[in-house]
Amino acid sequence: MHPLLQNRNSLLAYFSAWVPLGAMLGVATSGAGHLDWRATLAVITPVTLLLALVCLSPWYLCRGLPLNTTPHWKVLAYHCVAAMLGSSLVLFMVPFLLELLAHFRPRIETQFEPAMRVLAGMCFLFFLLSVALHYMLQAVESSRQAEVLSREAELKALKAQVNPHFLFNSLNSISALTTIDPAKAREMCVRLSDFLRNSLRMGERTSIPFGEELALAHTYLDVEQIRFGKRLRVRQDLDPACNDCEVPPLLVQPLVENAIKHGIASLTQGGEVSLAAHISNGALRFSVENRFDPDAPSQRKSGFGLLNVRSRLNARYGSAAHLDIQVSDGHYRVLLSVPFTKEVKK
Amino acid sequence: MSIRALIADDEELARQILREYLANQSDIEIVGECDNGFATVKAISDLKPDLLFLDVQMPKLDGFEVLELVDTHLAVVFVTAYDQYATKAFDAAAVDYLLKPFDLPRFETALHRVRQRLALPPTTTLAPAELRNAALPPGRYAERIVIRDGARVHIVPVAQIDYVEAQDDYLAFHSAGKSNLKQQTISSLEESLDPKQFVRVHRSFVVNLDRIRKIEAYTKDTRIAILTDGAKIPISRAGYLKLKEVMAQP
Repeated sequence: MHPLLQNRNSLLAYFSAWVPLGAMLGVATSGAGHLDWRATLAVITPVTLLLALVCLSPWYLCRGLPLNTTPHWKVLAYHCVAAMLGSSLVLFMVPFLLELLAHFRPRIETQFEPAMRVLAGMCFLFFLLSVALHYMLQAVESSRQAEVLSREAELKALKAQVNPHFLFNSLNSISALTTIDPAKAREMCVRLSDFLRNSLRMGERTSIPFGEELALAHTYLDVEQIRFGKRLRVRQDLDPACNDCEVPPLLVQPLVENAIKHGIASLTQGGEVSLAAHISNGALRFSVENRFDPDAPSQRKSGFGLLNVRSRLNARYGSAAHLDIQVSDGHYRVLLSVPFTKEVKK
Repeated sequence: MSIRALIADDEELARQILREYLANQSDIEIVGECDNGFATVKAISDLKPDLLFLDVQMPKLDGFEVLELVDTHLAVVFVTAYDQYATKAFDAAAVDYLLKPFDLPRFETALHRVRQRLALPPTTTLAPAELRNAALPPGRYAERIVIRDGARVHIVPVAQIDYVEAQDDYLAFHSAGKSNLKQQTISSLEESLDPKQFVRVHRSFVVNLDRIRKIEAYTKDTRIAILTDGAKIPISRAGYLKLKEVMAQP
């Protein structure tokens, strides 16, 4: 798809750029022909519009002739031919236009006659100018794509990463349970396996229903529940309508992990982790709240998991998604907001 | 005489394992269990254990901070899931470093080392401040200083320190008009602080750069720094060169 046609603003900018170009055409042709400004305006306005449309076409040819791999003569030859064809198309329309205008101004055809050559030359030049513009657009586009690709690669690496300390601490809990409560040890093995299997599987997908994200977070909480015992309490206020919303994978679990690692684990008496999900104004709003000890020894600084979530949201939704962090007085709240989108059923 | 052991770990199940493994050791007696750093410091001074099983990540104070505040000699065995501090801390002073989860044979190896260590005269069982430095990864600096004042523990974020003065075997940490004493050498402190923020301007003084208001000449070779709270501290010739160097950096 042509980048200028993708959104209204860039299209508007493109056409506004043609206003001064159209004025240049007008000045040049009225000087060459014998027309007053009103007649010039009547001829040049539709011509400029048409030319502006025709000048969008080099995008496709530019894509086929990338500058770094195509010989220069070839680039030049193809675009010159295209410019000739493009301007011919515009010039071809001019006689019809003049005929139409002759109803209002009888001698307009002969008056405009001398300006035709000037018009032809300028159309040709403007077309080549737009070729240059399109190469520039292409460079911008490809650099943006490269950024997205590198971000995706980074994400893949991150998704494959299950926090090893979580794993070791869980295994240690299992080791303790084997003698005092074998059934519970087995349960924890199963929960841990569920969590590992699911988080590995989710890493392969680009988008999953929010309900599945919650389920993964719950498996994680189940494991941590056994490890922390009474210190971990979970409160939930989840609207089931949220479950169908499509979100990037591994969005919720890092937030929950953060709440436990930097919140509950810092409190001797433990505390509550509150999860809430609602839909408002076409957005899914999900929050994780917990208490923490502001005077706790600083571990390797938190926020890495959150930073990762934030950059992934940014890559996917741009400014349409938010991740807000509110910290006050031993209270930590992460609020996530993403546009509510459902998977299109095929 | 049996070995008196203290267990410090915030997870009940983790303490459970140690209890279970220790139950078969006739020469070891568990005198207490702690689930956070403060409680551990207090229990050490109250119960005077010979042996401490210590988790690194705990509420209130981490394991290394606990050791900084301990002035009695005791054998320390770290028990943690984190291996990143292991080698260095282990080399520095700890008797052993158990990585969770661990089995009984590995635990018994640790106990063997403990018995050997406790059979030695209590000379260099621990050097807490040095251990702390060893535990900091390269390029990372202390973010807070823990100081014990009798039964109380002060936690001073390094950004709040105005300057530190060496007084015999102690350091006086000055912050917000108050000063706290801690047993530590000034060179080990200097190593643990960010050199872009704290400069040792004199044999006995380390100063927070943000607190310097102006520098005045004192004698031909020495100068005096006047801090924002009016305190005056001496700057040696070498200290002045260091100060200029740090301040010239962007």
